[in-house]
Amino acid sequence: MTDVKSEKSSNTASGWSRRSVLKATSAGAVGAVATPLFYTQNAWAEEAIGNYPVKGSEVVLGFNVPQTGAYADEGADELRAYKLAVKHLNNGGGMLDTLKPSKLTGNGILGKKVTYVTGDTQTNADASRTSARRMIERDKVIMVTGGSSSGIAIAQQYLCNELGIIFMCGLTHSNDTTGKDKQRYGFRHFFNAHMTGKALSPVLSKEYGKDRRAFHLTADYSWGHTQQQSMQEFTEKEGWSTEGNIMTPLKTTDFSQYLSQVLNSDADVLVLNHYGANMVNSLTNAVNFGMRDMQKNGKNLEIVVPLYSRLMAKGAGSANIDGVLGTSGWNWALEDEGSKVFVKTFTDEYGFPPSQAAHTCYVQTLLYANACEMAGTFYPPEVIKALEDFKFTGAGNGETLYRGADHQCIKDILVMQGNSPSARTSDFDYLKIVDQVDAATVDYDPAIFGGELGPYVPA
Amino acid sequence: MDMTLNAFTLYILTGLQLGSIFVLIALGLTLIFGTLGVVNFAHGALYLIAIYLAVSINNALGFGLALILVPPILFVFGVLMERGLIQRFYDRPHTDQILVTFGLAIVIQELLKWVFGANNIPFAIPSWGNGILMLHDYLPFLDGFVVYPKWRLILVVVSIVTVTAVFALLHLTRFGLVIRAGMRDAEMMQFLGVNINRRFMIVFGLGSMIAGIAGVFGGPVTQVSPEVGMHLLVPSFLVVVIGGMGSLGGAVIAGILIGMAQSFTAPYINLNTVIIYLITVVILLVRPRGLLGAKGVFE
Amino acid sequence: MHNQQSFWQLNKAVILFALVALTMPLWFPLINGYSGLDTKIMIFCIFLVGFDILLGFTGYLSFGHAAFFGIAAYSTGLMLKNFSDNIIPAIIVAVIAATLVAIVIGLLTLKRTGIYFSILTLAFAEMFHSMAMAMLQTWTGGENGLTGMPTPMLFDIKMQGSAVFYFSAIMAILMFYLAKRIERSPVGLMMKAIKCNQTRLEYTGINARKYKLLAFVISAMYAAVAGALMVVYEPFVGHEFLGWHQSGEVVIMSVIGGVGTLVGPMIGAAFMLYFENVLSVDLGEQWLLVLGLIFMFVVVFMPGGFMEAVERIKKRFITTADSE
Repeated sequence: MTDVKSEKSSNTASGWSRRSVLKATSAGAVGAVATPLFYTQNAWAEEAIGNYPVKGSEVVLGFNVPQTGAYADEGADELRAYKLAVKHLNNGGGMLDTLKPSKLTGNGILGKKVTYVTGDTQTNADASRTSARRMIERDKVIMVTGGSSSGIAIAQQYLCNELGIIFMCGLTHSNDTTGKDKQRYGFRHFFNAHMTGKALSPVLSKEYGKDRRAFHLTADYSWGHTQQQSMQEFTEKEGWSTEGNIMTPLKTTDFSQYLSQVLNSDADVLVLNHYGANMVNSLTNAVNFGMRDMQKNGKNLEIVVPLYSRLMAKGAGSANIDGVLGTSGWNWALEDEGSKVFVKTFTDEYGFPPSQAAHTCYVQTLLYANACEMAGTFYPPEVIKALEDFKFTGAGNGETLYRGADHQCIKDILVMQGNSPSARTSDFDYLKIVDQVDAATVDYDPAIFGGELGPYVPA
Repeated sequence: MDMTLNAFTLYILTGLQLGSIFVLIALGLTLIFGTLGVVNFAHGALYLIAIYLAVSINNALGFGLALILVPPILFVFGVLMERGLIQRFYDRPHTDQILVTFGLAIVIQELLKWVFGANNIPFAIPSWGNGILMLHDYLPFLDGFVVYPKWRLILVVVSIVTVTAVFALLHLTRFGLVIRAGMRDAEMMQFLGVNINRRFMIVFGLGSMIAGIAGVFGGPVTQVSPEVGMHLLVPSFLVVVIGGMGSLGGAVIAGILIGMAQSFTAPYINLNTVIIYLITVVILLVRPRGLLGAKGVFE
Repeated sequence: MHNQQSFWQLNKAVILFALVALTMPLWFPLINGYSGLDTKIMIFCIFLVGFDILLGFTGYLSFGHAAFFGIAAYSTGLMLKNFSDNIIPAIIVAVIAATLVAIVIGLLTLKRTGIYFSILTLAFAEMFHSMAMAMLQTWTGGENGLTGMPTPMLFDIKMQGSAVFYFSAIMAILMFYLAKRIERSPVGLMMKAIKCNQTRLEYTGINARKYKLLAFVISAMYAAVAGALMVVYEPFVGHEFLGWHQSGEVVIMSVIGGVGTLVGPMIGAAFMLYFENVLSVDLGEQWLLVLGLIFMFVVVFMPGGFMEAVERIKKRFITTADSE
């Protein structure tokens, strides 16, 4: 067993072993010269990794989204976006016309027709991995994408990394995904908690003043912790002080015991580092406690929700989120070419505009496909290299960099505000855009979160 | 953290209102447990039906109609459920009861998700119950500014009224006498020629109806999403068992106890997450049948 | 055992199971199964056989067996991560850890019977779950789960793909054989006597508590082996392993398969995992609804689970064969 390992490593180090030479010759790569393989564009002569090489005239993508459980509606929207992306990859249209630079042809990926399989993550790490494994082992997918919470994304990212399958994260906002848990085979287009803090804090101090005392309620898991730290760090840079922070168990459905604490403090801003059902409940509870109409320290008590989504806003209700500030990765009201064409094609297909989850999933699929075209192969190490440090525009967030050091997209972020019930015109504009914070402002040093991407060829 | 009188008052109120939800849900559960001997894993799902009905009627026709319609609908649903399904399981092992009611709970949850989506539906509090109560205006010992949401205080009152009504029904009426006797020894009642079957059906309906009342008033507090039923399942079972199987009084005490424990441990996350299990373990180890459980029931 | 039974008759079930299990990679893909799921099924067979030693033999319904499964999984993960990538010491430590916990919980909970016992075990397990999610998340990874383990090794063999499948399958066969031996032994008879009538058993001067505890600890050890193997199969520990859904799933698998038959619960496990991961895909979004309906259908029309259905078919087959 050990000699197999050493053969493998020597294979990648020197680039040539007897086996790969034979393979290369048989594949007809006559023009290959004696440069190490990882420098060559067309590395299809390399050994099998994951489900590479792709056999037949079709290539299969795996869409693993929550179909049951609390995030099922978000998962449904992600799936709509994936199906639309497949349609566009095969037939042209959508962001294929706006993404730049792009080698996408509208004729599948590398001439192969794109098909897909779906799975249910159940918002359960173990279930999501078993589902991803089905796609990989049985359905022979070349890439897996999806997910609607960080724990699930991280769990799948590790699995895919082991098996040599590229994982394009769906909606995950924890710093860990591209921080301490980053993986060579995992990529995130969505933004993260750190970027939220950076984007939101200046707007907060502009709106509410520099002399504010914040109280945090924080969901007690990795995402919550990173969100809280980022918010505290960047609001304090704006001159705010932090009165307190209570960790709330993830399973909490009634937050009144924690809100009693807030009422007892001197805080005049309540920061809810909650997502999904947690956020809907804590915000609704806070409103019930009269916190939207309360005065503290001679100022209006304000509530902040760092991470917003349309479904959450809808779940909490218009009256409750009216005026509340937070951030989003994308919104269908954006006016750039990429967003417009995406919103139009999505609305034509399904009858209503897409959510930010749909957007990030759609873009991820296109970016993967484009990377394959640029690499000229499905061979994962080459595709990864094509994605790393890829700069692009026309996907809805301005000029974007897929940073090579941690596989995090650095792009514009939106500061959003809840629309008042009277200003709302449809079921889809619960939130309005207050500010588009540019990529340079939210950029950060990838080294601060640690972690290792690991090798291009999985052990 | 030294505790001021203000903080203490808020803790107590929060404990009471957290407990009220538990009590309302556990009340129906323990009634069904105690009388029929059925482990009903679908009780959370009954509450789920109630909140979805309540929010739909409330948003379309107003709260008044929701209050009038939901409990009777739940009563009928409970009766149908007992006749159609549960009565086949009186003599079956608890494991079978768990499987069939858990299956039913999943079916109800998934059907509601199919119709209403997985996302939360906002449940607007009627205007007369909205807003906050200035407690410092009423309680002179409070210092300065102490407020509490009106609706949550209403919830406490509703739960007190419901508990009182159920107690009155069981202790002051002939129907109640038979039921209480049935809880002790159903077989003996059959021998005495009492048609216990029909009464069991009514008891199940009653338990379901209490879930209906809980749904109408609890909906704005627990919110309305398909997950709510399963979330409440474990805590309400713990309340019933801590209180003692089939003991209404026990369920009330246990519900308030759990509510208080959650409220007072709020600042200490590590204790807060385990406190209700810790209480369960300690109570069941010290008192074999929970606080007020009868001998021989469910042992 | 007084009359000489042949080797075949004594071990028929084990041999059949071994045949089915070891050939699984050959036939499982034919019904749309896949490598990985077969391993998971083998692991859950171990969990379920052990659970039946408690529930099926003694009648004690534990709602907290996820505790032993999860504790073993975390121990294995931490051992692989911090001590050695060799799975043998990891599994041994995991089983010892879970066994010690089981002895303590068993001593405390087995004083109670019926639903009180079930709720006590549930409370203990949920306590561990909450601790893994909050207090201990530095070690357990909390919501994100425990990650970052090296590829598990059995000395020089990488525990991936078919290696981990055959390792799990052989473990499952051995553990099933052991369970069958326990069933036939005097100890097994005592355990079954507890289910029939514990009070009567105690009147005869037998210390029922000893056998109850034995059954509890043995079943916890089975759960621990399964939990450890889960991490060998996939170097990842999700907090869900400790949750009440996991405990509940085991109960459901047992009942749907047929409590007390040892084979039935394994069929229940295989069915549930197959349904959840293969059939669910064809059913789409509403697969959980269908699963709920199946639970109700099975328990209403097949009171003894799948095993009863098998028995009925067998009986009908035999009677028609006889009448001819």
